[in-house]
Amino acid sequence: MNTVNQPSLANDGGIPARRAMIRWAWRLFKREWHQQLLILGLITVAVTATIIGAAVARNAPPPANSGFGSARYSATIEGSDPRFQSEVASFSKQFKPVEVIENQILRIPGSTMTFELRSQSPHGIFSKPMLTLVSGRYPLTGGEVALTPDLARNLDLKVGDAFRVGGASRKVVGIVENPQSLLDQFALVTPGQVEAATTATILFDIPKGMSLAAGNIGKPAVSASRTFLIPRSLTFDGVAIQSASKGSAGAFANPETISVAGLALGMLLIALVAVGGFTVVAQRRMRAFGVLESLGASDKNVKLVVKADGVIVGVVGSLVGVVIALAGWLAYRPVLESSSHHLISVLAVPWTVVVASMLLATVAAYLAASQPARSLTRASVAASLSARPAPPRQLHRSAIPAIALLASAFVIVWYSGKQDSPGLLIIGLIFLVAAVVLLSPLFLAALGRSGRRAPLALRLAFRDLARYRARSGSVLAAVSLGILISVIISGVAAVRYSNPLDYVGPNLAPDQLVLHVSGPPASAVKLGEGAGVPTGSGRAKSLGASANSIAKALGINSAVELDSVDANLRHAAQGRNWMGTIYVATPQLLGEFGINSSEVSPNADIVTMRPGLSGESKMQLIYGSNLYGVVAPPGSSQAYSCPTSDCLSNPVIQQIKGLPSGTSAPNTAITETAVKKLGLTTFVSGWFMQASKPFSNAQMTAAQQAAAAVGMVVETQNTLPTSSTIISWATAFGIALAIAILVMSVGLLRSETAADLRTLAATGATSFTRRNITAATAGALGFLGAILGTAAGYVGVMGWFMSGVQGGGLSAVTNVPIENLAIVIVGMPLLAALLGWLLAGRTQPSMARQAIE
Amino acid sequence: MSVKHAILALLSTGPKYGLQLKQEFESTTGDVWPLNVGQVYTTLQRLERDGLVESDDPGSDSAHNSFVITTSGQEELSRWLNTPPDLVAPPRDELVMKVLCALKVPGIDVNDIIQTHRRHLVELMQQWTRLKEDEADFDIGFALVVDAELFRLDSVARWLDAAEARLHRTPIKPQAGDRAPVLRRRLVRRK
Amino acid sequence: MSFVELRNVYKSYGDGAAKVDALRGIELSVEPGGFVAVMGPSGSGKSTLLMIAGSLEEPTEGDVRIDGLRLSGLSRNQKARLRRRTIGYVFQDFNLLAGLTAVENVCLPLELDGIAARKARAIGMAALEELGLADRSNRYPDQLSGGERQRVAIARAVVGERRLLLADEPSGALDSVNGEAVMRMILSACKTGVAAVVVTHDAHLASWADRVVFLRDGRVVDQTNPPPSPESILQPSTGPNEPSL
Repeated sequence: MNTVNQPSLANDGGIPARRAMIRWAWRLFKREWHQQLLILGLITVAVTATIIGAAVARNAPPPANSGFGSARYSATIEGSDPRFQSEVASFSKQFKPVEVIENQILRIPGSTMTFELRSQSPHGIFSKPMLTLVSGRYPLTGGEVALTPDLARNLDLKVGDAFRVGGASRKVVGIVENPQSLLDQFALVTPGQVEAATTATILFDIPKGMSLAAGNIGKPAVSASRTFLIPRSLTFDGVAIQSASKGSAGAFANPETISVAGLALGMLLIALVAVGGFTVVAQRRMRAFGVLESLGASDKNVKLVVKADGVIVGVVGSLVGVVIALAGWLAYRPVLESSSHHLISVLAVPWTVVVASMLLATVAAYLAASQPARSLTRASVAASLSARPAPPRQLHRSAIPAIALLASAFVIVWYSGKQDSPGLLIIGLIFLVAAVVLLSPLFLAALGRSGRRAPLALRLAFRDLARYRARSGSVLAAVSLGILISVIISGVAAVRYSNPLDYVGPNLAPDQLVLHVSGPPASAVKLGEGAGVPTGSGRAKSLGASANSIAKALGINSAVELDSVDANLRHAAQGRNWMGTIYVATPQLLGEFGINSSEVSPNADIVTMRPGLSGESKMQLIYGSNLYGVVAPPGSSQAYSCPTSDCLSNPVIQQIKGLPSGTSAPNTAITETAVKKLGLTTFVSGWFMQASKPFSNAQMTAAQQAAAAVGMVVETQNTLPTSSTIISWATAFGIALAIAILVMSVGLLRSETAADLRTLAATGATSFTRRNITAATAGALGFLGAILGTAAGYVGVMGWFMSGVQGGGLSAVTNVPIENLAIVIVGMPLLAALLGWLLAGRTQPSMARQAIE
Repeated sequence: MSVKHAILALLSTGPKYGLQLKQEFESTTGDVWPLNVGQVYTTLQRLERDGLVESDDPGSDSAHNSFVITTSGQEELSRWLNTPPDLVAPPRDELVMKVLCALKVPGIDVNDIIQTHRRHLVELMQQWTRLKEDEADFDIGFALVVDAELFRLDSVARWLDAAEARLHRTPIKPQAGDRAPVLRRRLVRRK
Repeated sequence: MSFVELRNVYKSYGDGAAKVDALRGIELSVEPGGFVAVMGPSGSGKSTLLMIAGSLEEPTEGDVRIDGLRLSGLSRNQKARLRRRTIGYVFQDFNLLAGLTAVENVCLPLELDGIAARKARAIGMAALEELGLADRSNRYPDQLSGGERQRVAIARAVVGERRLLLADEPSGALDSVNGEAVMRMILSACKTGVAAVVVTHDAHLASWADRVVFLRDGRVVDQTNPPPSPESILQPSTGPNEPSL
């Protein structure tokens, strides 16, 4: 019977065959999962970290609509304003429906603590998210009140007691709280019960798809046709209108997207390391695969076993990660609630991140397993049976596609900067990563060629790296990407921090302090808000005396008066604009920083320490009426015109390096000459003091209390890191990541050439030689990874920088500290080689065992 | 091969006639070693002369003369069963002779000789194995004898393999006269 | 009409100074139901011959035909199909896949061919029952003895309607009792029409075959003549030494 020519049911066994392969893959995993512990562990850790990080990042900040409920806008009016009542009525008419919440600040008898008497409807149209009932019930009549827990405790009241304030006595009927801000302490009464409101908040909304007109609110609306103009009659000094929307950056800058993007990058690195891991597992099972092929399994079936193992590893690893993350979330949520002062639901886990993590992990593991799957089916069945791996296929790939990708990445990143498009930026980064992955095997090929005349250990190490290019290439790619990340972070930080217009950095040095007169000075244009006290006024003198006494208490000789003007710089072009306060360059101010008045050039209008500002073109100094008008939409000719009055085009800017660099310190000042020339009035906005060493907590508290007593606010160093701090941390992170990848991978790489090691041992090579080979492998991969990662990183950074979106000088990018570069390119490979040398001895027995299997 | 003791063993279960003894002997040994009746009677006479058996009717040649084992016969049987056969002195194996001679004869390829004998051995073994599978009832006596034969032939075949391997390692045609004295000296030394 | 035919088969590995000629000009044919043993010392190429006959390895030169079909004209997938349907392979050791039970191992070729799991399982159980291994069907290979493993492997090699059994030292790791059981299984398969080629260096095991082919240095140097009727060995003229006195 000629069985061979029977018509076949399916070419490769169809579904039953696939089922059988998956069944076998699952059984193998159950038996031998501990062999894949490394990959499982990496995936679990990555998924857990991502989910918990996303959950915390999403829930730690106060809810976006805190204070707005479900409304998109709120208008806050001072209760003492005589136009209060008519304003409320006008709003109600204009924006039906509205909800009014009135607050009266009261003092707790016998203490300095204050609370608010708040009239709010528990079933209000917008304000529902701002109230929850803890116990008892909401007040229904005028004689009833509900208290927040802390207030009740402070007043020593509980449900049923009498609450006396302002002569009126009300019955406490319930305990309530604001879930969005647990620090909010108030006594809730029904609407209309507050007689002398300190402030009133009107919550209102406008039809969907529209936004409120520019000028009065924060960022200008996107297009004029979608604006809802707010009548000028409703706006006046004392009305602050705020919007709840986050702006167009919301889509990309929210924590979920960032954590998933971070996870994607992490999964890419894990996948690259996992290729080696899956290859080792496939090698161990090679004989079994040979038996499988002798039974007539098709190539697809054999590949399916390996790929199924990948999927199983991804699913199991991510499931474990999810479980641990949820458990961690359950444990940590109460802590987060109390530290962030708002209620967080147990279910407030970003479920999209959970699903995305599992998907990413599974896909990454599947892709990583596909690589050894392919090489497995190239060997003949007989070779598999004798567990002889097929000699690696050496494709002589040309460098052209890789270089093309690199060039495209540069162009795309540059273009994304020009268009300010985050989507294009991501695409450009993807191209960059792809270029690194493609270039890695080429680097290794070159390495193999260069090792021909090297001593034995180096020659063997380089030869093996070049021979098993697929595996070592993926490790090299992972190492390079680790370095690439740190280079990009450093570069971006350097560029960002070097922007003289949109100036970013720590606000003050740890030994500096600023006293502000009733709040930080206005840096943006706000209606009618000129904070400050006229220079030379009585109030200025008395505040000055207080400032000096505070300074003495801190051990500082004297405080320097900070004078400011109602003027602002403007960059008449697209892109980022001026941020900062312009102080007056009084002789006292200059003297505080050791600057002689003669250093100031006579025709200078502005002096600044910001590098690059003096070279900026299209600068304008606007003041007076230009400061408070409705800002025209950007791009219109109106936006950049400098009218003849109240605007100085191309003011002379002089850089004086002695000025302080903090964002809240006087880094930019207008010369007294210019003040006179333009006829500006100055006012005192605060005092600056510089100590000889950083302030202690006790000193800070004392200064804050003293300042509060006279109505001033203390500002000290915030937690924003300096550019060099970021660069150092990024470098350290990159090196740590690269070393971790190398340690994990070099063991995998060397274990496959264990047979060579045994031969070496048999021919009398000492453990010294074996260690040298491992050290050379780790060091070579580290060195190449550093070079490739740094080069690719610079391509990306330069592309972004040259699009001009960040502004700033070329020097910022090219002046990367030499120490960092040296540490990465020289120090990291040396460290890797040392670790390889140390660990080679330890893993020797396991290497030998594997080869014998 | 001692027929004498086999007959003693058969008589230990009870008195038997000469013909009976022949039939029982053949069936116990699986019909592999046929026995001559005359040989049986000659052996019985010798046993009687040695006092190991007794006959009913001494001096009679009749077929109905039955024999019985004596006490000394039992002792002799027991002693024989427990005494290991002489395995020390190697039997003069004809095949070993053939191979050794082939080494000396010029124009003869020893390897061909070895292969010829190997083939012959395997052919024999094939026939023995076939017998094992063809036997319908499982006659244990038969199986034991066939196994013994197969193992014997197998051991010879293994020796041929070893000889071939040894010859492969050393030169095939030694100088006539040089080898022999060396071998003899070695044997003497081992003692 | 032969079922397996090797014509002028050569196989060499490596090149230049490192070239190894494993097989030189092999001619072999086995008819359906025929039982051929290939004997030879290690390095004689017998395993290579078996691999080539089983489509697991490609000859450098020469022709291999199975049931009239030329192997060289087949693609990798077609060869795989051949192995599923026609050829059964038994190795000396490590035959069974760890992680699958005995019956799952036996019916694996059927499943690979597209037969649904339930039906394949039934066929596999039937095969194991025939061999008296039914109570072992749900054990994993590490729970079976060496002899049981080999017998399961042979069951797997003949399950379905496979017509060619190739065994490489199938009894090599077994004692004589288990080894004999394995050879009996192969013999009974041959009685149903399966062509069997067994590679061994053990004359005892080779004697189970109809025909023994001797391999040396990659060449067939000899083969046994067809035996006369079996009982002839019991004739006094060809039997062992006569009983001596």
